[in-house]
Amino acid sequence: MTFTSVQFLVFTSATLVLYRFCPLRFRAALLLVASYLFYWTWSPLAAAGMAAATLLAFLAGKSVQGEDSPHRAKITATVVICLLTAYLAFFKIAAVLPRFGRLALPLGLSYYTFKLMSYVMDIYWGKIERQRDLFAFAAYVAFFPQIVAGPIQRPGQFMDQLPPKKTAISMGVPRIAWGLAKKVLIAGNLAAAIAYVFGNAGSLHTVEALAALYLFPLYMYVDFSALTDIAIGVALLFGIESPENFNRPFTASSISDYWRRWHMSLTTWLADYVFTPLRMATRSAGKAGLAFSITVNMVAIGLWHGVAWGYLVFGLIHAAALIADSFTVRWRTRLFNANPRLDAWGKLFGVLITFHVVGVALVFFRAPSVMEALALLRHIFLFSGSVNAELAHLFAMAGARAFLAGLVGLAVMELVERYRPDRWWARLEVALPWWLRRLAATTGTVLMLAGIFILLVRAEREATPFLYQIF
Amino acid sequence: MLTPPRPEIMEALTAVFREVLDEPALTLREDTTADDVASWDSLNHIDLIVAVERKFKVKFTTREIASLRNVGELATLIQQKPAAQH
Repeated sequence: MTFTSVQFLVFTSATLVLYRFCPLRFRAALLLVASYLFYWTWSPLAAAGMAAATLLAFLAGKSVQGEDSPHRAKITATVVICLLTAYLAFFKIAAVLPRFGRLALPLGLSYYTFKLMSYVMDIYWGKIERQRDLFAFAAYVAFFPQIVAGPIQRPGQFMDQLPPKKTAISMGVPRIAWGLAKKVLIAGNLAAAIAYVFGNAGSLHTVEALAALYLFPLYMYVDFSALTDIAIGVALLFGIESPENFNRPFTASSISDYWRRWHMSLTTWLADYVFTPLRMATRSAGKAGLAFSITVNMVAIGLWHGVAWGYLVFGLIHAAALIADSFTVRWRTRLFNANPRLDAWGKLFGVLITFHVVGVALVFFRAPSVMEALALLRHIFLFSGSVNAELAHLFAMAGARAFLAGLVGLAVMELVERYRPDRWWARLEVALPWWLRRLAATTGTVLMLAGIFILLVRAEREATPFLYQIF
Repeated sequence: MLTPPRPEIMEALTAVFREVLDEPALTLREDTTADDVASWDSLNHIDLIVAVERKFKVKFTTREIASLRNVGELATLIQQKPAAQH
């Protein structure tokens, strides 16, 4: 059952009706049952695996907190983190090895194992208390809106919201509608163009290769942020606030700024549990320690997506860019502080460079192989001499109408996410008489529900899966 | 050497943060966090910690650093370190 199916709409609505009538103390249990039911529809065996891993982390939390000797607590925490890492790595490696029959990756494996690891680490570090209620903890791990592709919520942040007293339907429905609109009307329309350019990486014209370089980052953002919008929206229906994953990433003026705006729940996770401990361990090595920690962290981000050369190159490109960024930051700050007139130009230049680094890295991320990624980048410089002919070819291959609709959709999305009409409305709404406010809210919800239904029917017909659903 | 009093620790911390983050006008309060200071991020967080370790002649563990929530807790951690380390 995917997020973009009528089946999921029925499942969520039915769970929500039960939830509204459910006494507060049983709400976590209801979320647990619903989440495992959802997971069960993907694979009962994978559900058993998730339950076992959950139990392991729960018992580890109990043992680490109850341990008087810090040495033994450290050993327990280390062993369990190693076991969870091995569990994650086994499936990631088995997925690409013919020997294991390219074993299918359990749904949401990368997300829930990270939730489990942060639980054990946070207890070891004394940041949170261990959970006493196994079912509430299991509900956190399996929480169905977040299981497919995050956001990766920290245990303390989720547990503090249990039991959720209020559902936030009026906030959740618009967020779901916005995510679906982005997925169906923008990503759905651009999918053919993306599939074409990356499917023919070795035989593209300059314009097509440029389209791959410039369009794929935007496509990936639309697709992934749409999935996140739906996840955050559905969680809100049940009164759970999730962390945000994106903050207009392409306005970033440096690569470190970009990683503070892109897939934030993953990057902050890695910063806390991988980068910072590594940095502490290598702190006596100065700049070399910094470069080493950045490289390991970015390679981990790359390989978290899967075991493939393309993901490794993606991680290494970002590592190189981040090292250059952090080694020159002091010099750049001083330069711009001393020359305020250069500041605006520096920002603009920074945005352009950052976007290009991200674009090139994503070519390696998306292309079927490193060789094809290199071929695609090389084709940028092999210009046939006719922009018109090259554009016409791209439009013919991408489906001209859908491609144009997707491009217009991108522009509309950018305007909406920049100017946030929902915030204007929230300010305006307060000034309205109560009956008009209520009328507008009801009409809005009904229209959005109708929109959600229409979009879901269309999404089911087209069936383009979310990019981030496979991790 | 004895542990320095709290206001002196905060003053010394402010000097260290100003130097590492290259922000001469920065002021720190007990409840200041990384979210309050734009230039303080995960990339330079440990640079700050190393500079604090040098200044106060103490050593922190990863576990101690990971559980810090604000500057005040860092000051407390410095105070709690065995006096011989200062």
